[in-house]
Amino acid sequence: MTRTSAPGVRIDDLTVVYKTPAGELPALGGVSLSLAPGTITGIVGESGSGKSTLALSLLNAVQPPGRISGGTVEIDGLGNVVDLQGEELRRARGRQVGYVFQAAQNSLNPLKTVGKQLLDLGRSHDFDDLPALLKDARALLGRMGLDGGRVLDSYQHELSGGMRQRVGIMFALVLNAHLVVLDEPTTALDMITQASILRIVRDVHHERGLTTLIITHDMGVAAEVTDSLAVMYGGRVVEHGPTTEVLGAPRHPYTQGLIRAIPRLSGDIDEARALPGRPPTLGTIPKQGCVFRERCPIRIAVCDTVDPVPVTRDARTVACHAVGQPATPVTPKEFA
Amino acid sequence: MITASGIVKTYKQRGNMLGARAVPALRGVDFAIPRGGAVTFIGESGCGKTTLGRIVAGLETYDAGEIVIDGTPMSSLKPRHREPFFRRIQLIHQDPYSALNPTRTIHQTLAAPLALRAKQTGRDKAWMEQRAAELLALVGIDPGYVLPRYPHQLSGGMRQRVVIARALTVDPEVLVADESVSMIDVSLRLGVLSLLKDLRERLNVSVLFITHDIATARYIGGDGELYVIYRGQVVESGPTESVISGPIHPYTQSLLSAIPVLHGVERPGPERVVPTEALDESHADSGCLFARRCPFATDICTAEPPALVPDGDQAHACHHPRRRSVIPVEAVA
Repeated sequence: MTRTSAPGVRIDDLTVVYKTPAGELPALGGVSLSLAPGTITGIVGESGSGKSTLALSLLNAVQPPGRISGGTVEIDGLGNVVDLQGEELRRARGRQVGYVFQAAQNSLNPLKTVGKQLLDLGRSHDFDDLPALLKDARALLGRMGLDGGRVLDSYQHELSGGMRQRVGIMFALVLNAHLVVLDEPTTALDMITQASILRIVRDVHHERGLTTLIITHDMGVAAEVTDSLAVMYGGRVVEHGPTTEVLGAPRHPYTQGLIRAIPRLSGDIDEARALPGRPPTLGTIPKQGCVFRERCPIRIAVCDTVDPVPVTRDARTVACHAVGQPATPVTPKEFA
Repeated sequence: MITASGIVKTYKQRGNMLGARAVPALRGVDFAIPRGGAVTFIGESGCGKTTLGRIVAGLETYDAGEIVIDGTPMSSLKPRHREPFFRRIQLIHQDPYSALNPTRTIHQTLAAPLALRAKQTGRDKAWMEQRAAELLALVGIDPGYVLPRYPHQLSGGMRQRVVIARALTVDPEVLVADESVSMIDVSLRLGVLSLLKDLRERLNVSVLFITHDIATARYIGGDGELYVIYRGQVVESGPTESVISGPIHPYTQSLLSAIPVLHGVERPGPERVVPTEALDESHADSGCLFARRCPFATDICTAEPPALVPDGDQAHACHHPRRRSVIPVEAVA
């Protein structure tokens, strides 16, 4: 097994459109985002924010009626994924980019044991040494606190939700991919199982030297494991920076609103505030101007007409007109 | 006022070659829901909390124990005489996407229970129309927009509000909310929670809140009682704020420790507890049910089941009770 180092990823001006009766609508409107090698990046956003579409773009796996209509996704050692096709693309998936699907619990084949599915995976990637692959899988499952032999002999219905999720992670890692994408890895798991899965994700990430991308709607999940955090809204990355800084001192009004909307265990519970309005869907994303303006407490005139350009200052990228102007500093007080 | 004592429910698993296996869902649960009060049950999936909600709402039978509603024991009544009692307790379903009939408009969905209500109270059709609009306005949605629409035309948050409005058509005294916000977008979740909180205050309805997310329990029922349930048994109970800030049972401590820490805003609690194993229903039933997973278990824990004993304003079932500080602490900037 060759040991490669963690790859970096550079997404540049990526646009993905979905074909609908109302014409082609953008699910991603020119997203630029870099994943530094060896880090865990989190993408948080609500349904319809484009976070899953962005994750699928890393595999060039956006399904029709969607298509990547512009931009590039550069992965170290793989080149621009958007240009890959056919066999090349198939080989990259799984080998270079591991993907743990949303509801991994339900993405296993119910008719085959986990071991049989693993052998299928090995054959489709022309593995000569299948026993070694099984051995790796057993070791990985053992690392995640499961009895590897038993799990490989099991059908999916014989495994609990937390176990299936770990099997999903095993499938993503067993071909020695060093870029791993986890789409909602803990949805539908309860708190204690969630905490143990997150611990595994973090440990395995460090042990194997991965670049990890976690897609989630849960700010807490992102806070727990990620080094860097990108917040998406209406097909755009509205804020990106080191996790503790984004959470501790959010700059974009949406990030601020999201954090305030989390009921917490400490502090005054009545300080939690709902965000007014509701997130846009594909059809209701404004054609021009800022996508967040309808719900924004610090909206200014220019927001109606001009889509704010992401501006990077001190390792933090924010796409907001009101925050972009240093003359009018935004303090959390304005939301009290 | 609803009092439940010693509720036991066992599901029989049928059909495999080894014969029937009994799966205990509830092993004797006591609690009371005062008028206008809030009661929260927390626990992992599979701990019996959904079964409990269904029993309270009259949708499920119980094998032993008693539910007393305003002084009337339910087991003394014939099923059809129980109906008016259980009608006062309405269940708000977990999943707003499957709780509404997709072939009916919201108007039709609300009209059915309202027709029943109109018949009972001798009111006419005009009252029904007015009441439907009133209820939708109460849950914070525009009746003119929603009434003619089908569920698929509404967002998750709106559907959940419609489900709540439907529950309110029969003027219930208790709302049973089973994980009722877990399927809703984060920015809208707090809106639905504050609606439930608001209904408690405005209509004086009690809320039985069933969840695995303790922070939301704190938001809705901060002034009420919290019950921590594990494998069908209450292992700790007490006023919500007391249990959250000073949990005594290691299981409660594990649940609270598992809540993600918002690094940058808060720091992890100093004494976080991590269970030594995952939940396994096949663990022996003798002794403390949590013993196999408990990092503090000793010989007595596997030998003798601990009883629920009072401790200050809380109660716990643990041989080695000790308050631990596990919840995140505000980070000082």
